Amino acid sequence: MSVTTSSHAVVGTPLRPLRRGRDNAILGGVCGGFATRLGIKERNIRVIFALLTLIFGLGILLYMTFWLVLTRSGEEHSIIQQIFQDRHEAQVVLIGFIATIVLIIALLTTGSRTTGGFGWPLLLSGFAAFAVWRGASSDERSHLSEFFNSAPVIGTAFSKSRKVVILRLLIGAALVFFGLHELDRIGGFWGSTASALFGTAVLVFGVGILFAPWWLQNVRELTSERRERVRIEERANMAAHLHDSVLQTLTLIERSAANEGDVMRLARNQERELRQWLFSPETLTNAPTSFVGLIGAIEHDVENDYGVRVELVTVGDCVPDDRVSTFTAAAREAAINAAKWSQAESVSIFTEVEPASISIFVRDRGVGFDLDAIPADRQGIALSIRQRMSQLGGEAFINTEVGSGTEVQLVMPRAL
Amino acid sequence: MTDSAKPRVFLVDDHELVRSGIRAEIASSVDIVGEADEVEAATEMILERSPDVVLLDVHMPDGGGQAVLRAVMEHNTTTKFLALSVSDASVDVISVIRAGARGYVTKNISGPDLVDAIYRIAAGDVVFSPRLAGFVLDAFSTGANDQPVVVSDPDLDQLTTRERQVLRLIARGYSYKDIAKELTISTKTVESHVSSVLRKLQLSSRYQLSHWASERHLN
Repeated sequence: MSVTTSSHAVVGTPLRPLRRGRDNAILGGVCGGFATRLGIKERNIRVIFALLTLIFGLGILLYMTFWLVLTRSGEEHSIIQQIFQDRHEAQVVLIGFIATIVLIIALLTTGSRTTGGFGWPLLLSGFAAFAVWRGASSDERSHLSEFFNSAPVIGTAFSKSRKVVILRLLIGAALVFFGLHELDRIGGFWGSTASALFGTAVLVFGVGILFAPWWLQNVRELTSERRERVRIEERANMAAHLHDSVLQTLTLIERSAANEGDVMRLARNQERELRQWLFSPETLTNAPTSFVGLIGAIEHDVENDYGVRVELVTVGDCVPDDRVSTFTAAAREAAINAAKWSQAESVSIFTEVEPASISIFVRDRGVGFDLDAIPADRQGIALSIRQRMSQLGGEAFINTEVGSGTEVQLVMPRAL
Repeated sequence: MTDSAKPRVFLVDDHELVRSGIRAEIASSVDIVGEADEVEAATEMILERSPDVVLLDVHMPDGGGQAVLRAVMEHNTTTKFLALSVSDASVDVISVIRAGARGYVTKNISGPDLVDAIYRIAAGDVVFSPRLAGFVLDAFSTGANDQPVVVSDPDLDQLTTRERQVLRLIARGYSYKDIAKELTISTKTVESHVSSVLRKLQLSSRYQLSHWASERHLN
């Protein structure tokens, strides 16, 4: 009756929307995105953008525009959409845009030739970079900061010798100094330096284009190396934890295989511990610093001591004070009571922390009892729960009926 | 072989042991029409056989249960999904519900309870585990931790008092019948409250819900 196949259902070419690349991204993933969409090698697209850059920086401007407008693969909104979703961000970015335009106009009027070449595309691209940084998703942001952090002083990856690096820095600094001096000599930044600036810019871009691929490759290798290292460390931690807890428990289970109760208890204990480790590591500290932590301790103890499963559901949390501790102690008695007497396989505990009050419900679907005919030993427990609750200014209700289980409701106001 | 009274059930889980365990527990009460251990085969076979209920493992390679949900629901809206998971992580629960599952139970559910859940899903009801009810209450809480809650659509972003009461009772371990008795309403009304909570869960754009869902989507 049961069939398992591994045949393939999808026929035809997969849909490839134009999205910025994620795995094949160096910076923003624009080239990678085009490569995926068109089925061309990324390198070719990058060369095209680099060549376009030679035409007054067009390539860079285009790249930045696509970066803003295209949605990153795996995300729902493009950067520009993200910016306009947040009013504050939108304002900041709009102000940036206006400032850029004003700057461009100012440059156009003061030294028209300065902006004739690379000036305004570069300024616009600079603004776009700013917008990208403001609007990028946190994931993309961490990708970018990792990218820039791992970019060393350009070239350190190429020659590891310190001497060479120092030499390069000296030469670079000397050149910059000389260039500034020359600029000053021919009449300063605002003088008739358009051609000089243009020449310099072309030169810089030329060098950048020549060396960028090689530099980026180095950077990428570094980044992936670092990621790999983090991954290995995480794996080691995980292995250590699994060894300490899971493996030990499994050995114990093998040893006590004959005793069903023990096996059950061990398995449950381990399950709870692993769950906590996986899903709420913040509650792992030994001294509970939260209300939920205190309740979790009840779950742990009741399951351990009575072999009864506890279904715990918590809504909200708070920092426990003395009153909350007394309150949880009352709940503990109720839970132990249910585990001991109800004969039910499981006990449900539900807690809710609200602004004005905290409630705990302990419920079992066990035998129940007749409230009017309680044996003396159990009357005592009910009494002690009630007394504690009235001390706290709260209330305790016990709903029970023979054959349909018991529910203890505890409610405490958060402030007296 | 086919018994029209029994719901037709399809199993999706990448662990053979889990599948055979579930099969052994429910085979006598439902009609198992197939099973699959990976997303693509599952999608294809579910579309081909259109079962009443799919028991769907949340964690699988290649996109997990959500990938199956999306692929199937594009073409077939009559098949209903009950998500099964070993974890109780809120992100899992919320994201699989938002992807379209009509219920969520953990794998340590007992055989009879699972069968009951399947019948209810097949009948068009919604199955909330106590823990899921807790998550929903948490997600829709009015901000006990002082964070302001932005409500853009009150119909979707807030629970009614009655819905809250019902969810609290589910979280306390009550069955629908118990809830109906406690609130002196009919079981059908309880079901309709739970369905409406499910709708809000799927459609609301409350920060916590969309945040959880997108967190899982990115992984």
